[in-house]
This record gives sequence, structure tokens and C-alpha cells, in this order.
Amino acid sequence: MQAKQAVVFSGAFAGAVLLLAAGPVWAHHAFYAEFDETKPITLRGTVTKWEMVNPHSWIHLDVKGPDGKVVNWMIEGGSPNALLRLGFTKDSLPPGTEIVVEGYQAKGGAIRAVGKDLTFTDGRRLFMGGSAPGAAPGETADGQAAPAKK
Amino acid sequence: MKRRFMVSTAAVIAVMLPGSALVIGQEAAKTAVAKSWTQPRTPDGQPDLQGIWSNVSSVPLERPKNLGAKEFYTPQEMAEIKARAAQKAPVDKAGTRADVHYDFNQFALDSSHTKVAPNLRTSLIIGPEGTVPPLLPEAQKRAADRAARNRGHQFDGPENRGLSERCIVWPNEAPPMIGGGYNGNVQIVQGPGYVGILQEMIHDMRVIPTDGRPHLPANIHQWLGDSRGHWEGNTLVVDTTNFTDQTAFRGSGDKLHVVERFTRTGDDSLMYEFTVSDPATWEKSWTAQVPWAKSDGPIFEYACQEGNYGMANILSQTRAEEKEAKEAAEAAARTGSK
Repeated sequence: MQAKQAVVFSGAFAGAVLLLAAGPVWAHHAFYAEFDETKPITLRGTVTKWEMVNPHSWIHLDVKGPDGKVVNWMIEGGSPNALLRLGFTKDSLPPGTEIVVEGYQAKGGAIRAVGKDLTFTDGRRLFMGGSAPGAAPGETADGQAAPAKK
Repeated sequence: MKRRFMVSTAAVIAVMLPGSALVIGQEAAKTAVAKSWTQPRTPDGQPDLQGIWSNVSSVPLERPKNLGAKEFYTPQEMAEIKARAAQKAPVDKAGTRADVHYDFNQFALDSSHTKVAPNLRTSLIIGPEGTVPPLLPEAQKRAADRAARNRGHQFDGPENRGLSERCIVWPNEAPPMIGGGYNGNVQIVQGPGYVGILQEMIHDMRVIPTDGRPHLPANIHQWLGDSRGHWEGNTLVVDTTNFTDQTAFRGSGDKLHVVERFTRTGDDSLMYEFTVSDPATWEKSWTAQVPWAKSDGPIFEYACQEGNYGMANILSQTRAEEKEAKEAAEAAARTGSK
């Protein structure tokens, strides 16, 4: 709860100054070294595992191809620490959840992708950021509470 | 909670309003807060800086060129900038390298999810120039040599990759400590003879003796340098030398010298100031000020090595691409020879 409150209370001020100027943002690694900008990809599948590990979280996703064959993809996402501050825990994305991932596939043809945008199948965003268009901190775009208040 | 934040915002703006740009800053803030606020002390009498602080800033290190010598926005200008910023979200063009990343907003990696101390500065670097001085020729050569050594070998092995990617040290950690856009939490703890500074990103604890002992011998180099602290009034002054030539802060070398000044300005505010010099890199030293805000915490463990799949992925995928290119070239050669 403490973390949630902090998010709400700072969002109004800090969100507004987000674009004031580019403050320093350190990235752990250059994503274009790992993923291919010429291979945008949309995956619809079922979560089999969520690794809340640093420096990046990874969602494992069973995706059925046009040939009916199921392939297990790994989707790279943001820092678990930041997700914890949004109120998410390792139990917040249970296996069996159906999601849609838009992103870019890994270089070299590996069955991995960066999850640029992650949504539930009804269009709600999976993780809700305070400055996401139309979303209050900790809420989905349609105003529902985040699924992860454990 | 919300009210406390607004009060502190108002206090800082009030401090900044009446004075000219020259007197605005740490000294003015100290004078102003002294009337209504008493510096707390630890049981052994040190000024008490302890707690978790956010060092995230929306202000860039260097001033945008079009602002010239303007050091501060007026509160009205700031309000207008904020209003404009709220209107649009950053969007990268699809199919570009910049777009190959997860959505910052969605993953709580932008400053809207972080407590950010109010700051009317146009750049963290103070003074009319507001920029890092130009690199001396020898520093330019050093940077060019370093890049040349790795050119064409960037993906050969882990040691060709950057320190961040290897989870060794991040740019926010080595003094000076400039928070990145996310998880920018710093915890200060104090005991007799020592100050400890834990940084959430990416894991390091700076243990700073304040007992007057000298620096390490000059031939010993450390990622975060070697820090020694002392108190000047209510200000903690930390002097750091003995850097490596590998962290290269804004082009610096192993002669980098950083002096940090930590001054608590209220229950929920602290002014962090640093002066950077390196005679082998810049003609003159430069100074920046970053207000920190008390953070609610907690600090979470950021075990960067824990699941650093990115490193293995980048290298193995490069090998796969090389193999693919080699096979394609061999196939083309076979076709061509027929």
C-alpha cells in the first residue's frame, strides 16, 4: 500500500514534467543489440511462466501458430522493482492468462521478443503506468483497478 | 502525504522567487529553512541525513542551447511547460531502433512513477554556461582510442560489452550519483566514523569513512573510486579519487576527482551538490546541484546478475546471425560457381 500511495501522490506533479526535458535515463542494455527493428511481431498466447528477475522481467507465452503447433516464446519486459512499486507481485500474472504482445523479435531468429505493449485480450493494458494515455496510476485504461493487488 | 509534498514544493518555490538567480540555490535554501526547521542529529551528534531519498530528476545535466545563460525557469514558465508536456506522450516511430524497447509508461520506468524533487533549474550544472566543458584533445584521443579498440568486436564476447550490460557498475552509481529515470532510490545510513550510501540501482553500497584517514595509495583503482568524508557545519563533504579509466564519466579518466556536498534542507529535502574535475579531461572543474526528495521506500533488491539473460542472448544471437551469413555466402558461392 505504501508504494501504491507514493505512486499516486507523485504522479500528478512528476508525470507532468516528464517531458520537460530529457533527464538522464540509464538503460541496462541497448535493446536494438538484442532485438530486430525490422521484425515487428504480434503474439497472442497463454502465459506459462512469469520470471520476476532483474534486470528484466520475462514472460513465457505459449503461442499457437497457423499450423496449430504451439511454440513457447520468451518476452522481455521492464524491471521487477518498478513493477513491485506498481503493486505487482510474482503471483500477479498467473499461468493460463491470455495476453497479446506487440513487440519486436530477437535477432538471429531466436524465439524471443521484447514486449513493447502488453494487453489482455479485451484490450486492457497488462501493467498500468501513471502516464499511460487515459490511465490513472495503478488503474487500467478503462478505469478498472489493476489486477494485481495482492 | 500529498499535502506534505505540496507544502515542500511551495517552500522551495518561495525560496527561489524573491532572490536573483545568483543567490538561488543551496545557500539561500539553507538560510530560508533555518528559521522554521532544525537540523536533526544522530545520537553521536552528526547532522542526520539518514533515510531513503529519490535522486531522480526531470532536469537535464546540460542546459539546452537555446536557453543561453538562463539558469532558472520562472514558476509560470514551469507551469506552462508542464501543461504542454501533459498534452503529448512520447512516441517512437515504428520500425526504428528507438522503438525497440518496452513501453516505459506501462512498465513504470518513467519519472511519473517516481518522487521527483521540485526544481526550477534549466540544467543540473550551475552557472551561466550550464554545460560540461569541452574535452581536452588528450581526452578526445583517449575516447577515440577506446572506441577504435572495440570497433568491429562489439559482440565478440562479454568483455566487449559495456559495464552496464555486464551488471558491473552503472553510470548513476559512481560518484557523482545522478539518478536514472527509474528506481532512483538512495539510502543513507550513519554510524560513528562512517556514512553508508546504498543505491538501489544497481546494488552497490558506498562505505565512506569520516574519521580523517587518508585516501588509498594512488596505484589502487576502484570502480566507485575511494571516498573519504568529513563534516563542514551541517554539510557532509565527500572527496573521491582513485577511479579506474574505464567508467569514463563524461569522458573522464582515472584522474577524475569528485567532491560531493550533502546538505539536508528540511525533513523531506536534501541538496546534493557535486564538483567534478580532471586535469586530463577538462580545462576547468564544473559543478551541479540536484535536489533530492525523501522517498517512502522501501528499497528493493536489484540483483542485476540474477537474470541477465540479455547478455547471453545478445552474444548467442550474434553467433547465430554470423552462422546464417556464412551459410548464405557459401550457398551464393556454390550457385555462382555452377
